[in-house]
Amino acid sequence: MSILDVKDLKKSFGKNHAVRGISFMVAPGEIFGILGPNGAGKSTTLSLIAGLLRPDGGRVLIGDYDLHLEPQNAKKMIGIVPQEPALYPMLSAEENLRFWGTINGLRPGDLANSVKRVLDIVGLSTRARDRVNTFSGGMKRRLNIAAGLIHQPRLLIMDEPTVGIDPQSRNHILETVANLRDNDMSIVYTSHYVEEVEHLCDRVAIMDHGHLIKEGTLTDLLSHGHRHQTLHLHLHGSSKTLQDLIAQLPGVEQVLTENGHMRINAVEAEPIMPNVLQLVKQSGASISNIRLEKPNLESLFLQLTGRGLRD
Amino acid sequence: MQKILAIISVGIRQMVADPVQMMFLLALPILMTWVMSFLPVDAYEMAILGVLVMFVALNLITSAGGYILEEKETGTWQRMRASTTSYWHIIIGYFIRLFVTGLAQALILLLSSKYLFGAPWQQGYWATVLVLSIYIFAMTGVGLFLAGFVKTQGQVQALAMGVVMVGTMLGGVFFPIDNASPFIRGIAQISPQSWAATALRDLLTAGGSLSLLMGPLLWMGGIGLVLLAGGVTKLQMEG
Repeated sequence: MSILDVKDLKKSFGKNHAVRGISFMVAPGEIFGILGPNGAGKSTTLSLIAGLLRPDGGRVLIGDYDLHLEPQNAKKMIGIVPQEPALYPMLSAEENLRFWGTINGLRPGDLANSVKRVLDIVGLSTRARDRVNTFSGGMKRRLNIAAGLIHQPRLLIMDEPTVGIDPQSRNHILETVANLRDNDMSIVYTSHYVEEVEHLCDRVAIMDHGHLIKEGTLTDLLSHGHRHQTLHLHLHGSSKTLQDLIAQLPGVEQVLTENGHMRINAVEAEPIMPNVLQLVKQSGASISNIRLEKPNLESLFLQLTGRGLRD
Repeated sequence: MQKILAIISVGIRQMVADPVQMMFLLALPILMTWVMSFLPVDAYEMAILGVLVMFVALNLITSAGGYILEEKETGTWQRMRASTTSYWHIIIGYFIRLFVTGLAQALILLLSSKYLFGAPWQQGYWATVLVLSIYIFAMTGVGLFLAGFVKTQGQVQALAMGVVMVGTMLGGVFFPIDNASPFIRGIAQISPQSWAATALRDLLTAGGSLSLLMGPLLWMGGIGLVLLAGGVTKLQMEG
């Protein structure tokens, strides 16, 4: 049985088809990652799953409940962690959590214990009485997670929870997410950071232009049909001619150049390296840095969509 | 009920904790009332009721639009909409919060006018509370209607100033309009601020009866109801 079952979900805004019939399931205790560049449809998908938008087609099941037929029962099972902290800055951490607990249906008698429990989880117990506007960015993000957990949801929807914070808070958040999974919580996790997704997620979906173009475990994604390596060159004096010449080498599938950074996708990059170096030398360009990257989600993403995750 | 109370309480605590908001809500209108108290008594009575209806309108319109927009920008609106709290509970919470702050502001201004700055009122207090309640309902309706359409805080400020300044300054709230042009008198006929200020003057100064004010009260209530329904429906459609 799945906690989240998304079937043929569609959403358009005028002529913009943001989500074009996507389907996936999330099992109990699983972290499901959604990777995609800006405009891929990730945020719209999360809004549909959270019940913030009404889909044009398809359905969302949370446990046994259809989100749009039985929203009250379905929403009890969902916690959301928006990208920017959705908190009241003039209130204390504890007051915020008591508010979000009440709004999510906790009884007054259960609030104190729930607040203490989630503050412990995110490591903010000592700052419970402090106003949120005195918190650092990382602490606000952690409290934002606590607000999503206050009513003990079965499914947590996290929209890029680590964007723009310090490494210490980021590690704390990643540890918290892993611990939640170990306690059987299901999580839908979106991020631009490939290493986070690789580290945390049990299964990953790659989304672009409103479609889920690939989905599976990390091992499946990297082993089936994707054995590509990427050769990164940082060049001075690169030219379109050089890019075209390299693209014609046997085994090369794709060459992308941006601000002097050339990415060469090839089935096997090592054997073509001498030829590449020779072409660079002949063109008069010089190399400041060279790096060989084994298959990973970033190169898979590049191969599937033709663009980088941060493009 | 607990959810509605939580929404009211959080809104009021956020507001009270912000000194700038409190200054706009209370300190500034009380200061203006004090300045008006140096006018001759007839002009003073008209002016302080004008200050009252103007600041209550400004507060409610900017608060309704501004708070909802701010909550949308910070994501607390979306987090509430994703919770088990229904849209109607959220709106009722917002409405009561606005109504209570509007009523508290109006009563504090009335009491300070009488007891601190010597307004010579001796009658019509309960009827005054009823008129104020209906006026505040109308202004809350105007505010929530605009909240359904505004996209930026700048739009909120501009629309609030437009509605309040036209309705108050051109509506005869601060000066007699008996001999004014038909255009000015036309604005006064449709301005809730004008109806409210006239009704309050009739009650507090002339000892008028509520039965004579049924027309203004129905007009203000009707405006409030229609605009409230429009704004609430628009906000629900936006999600």
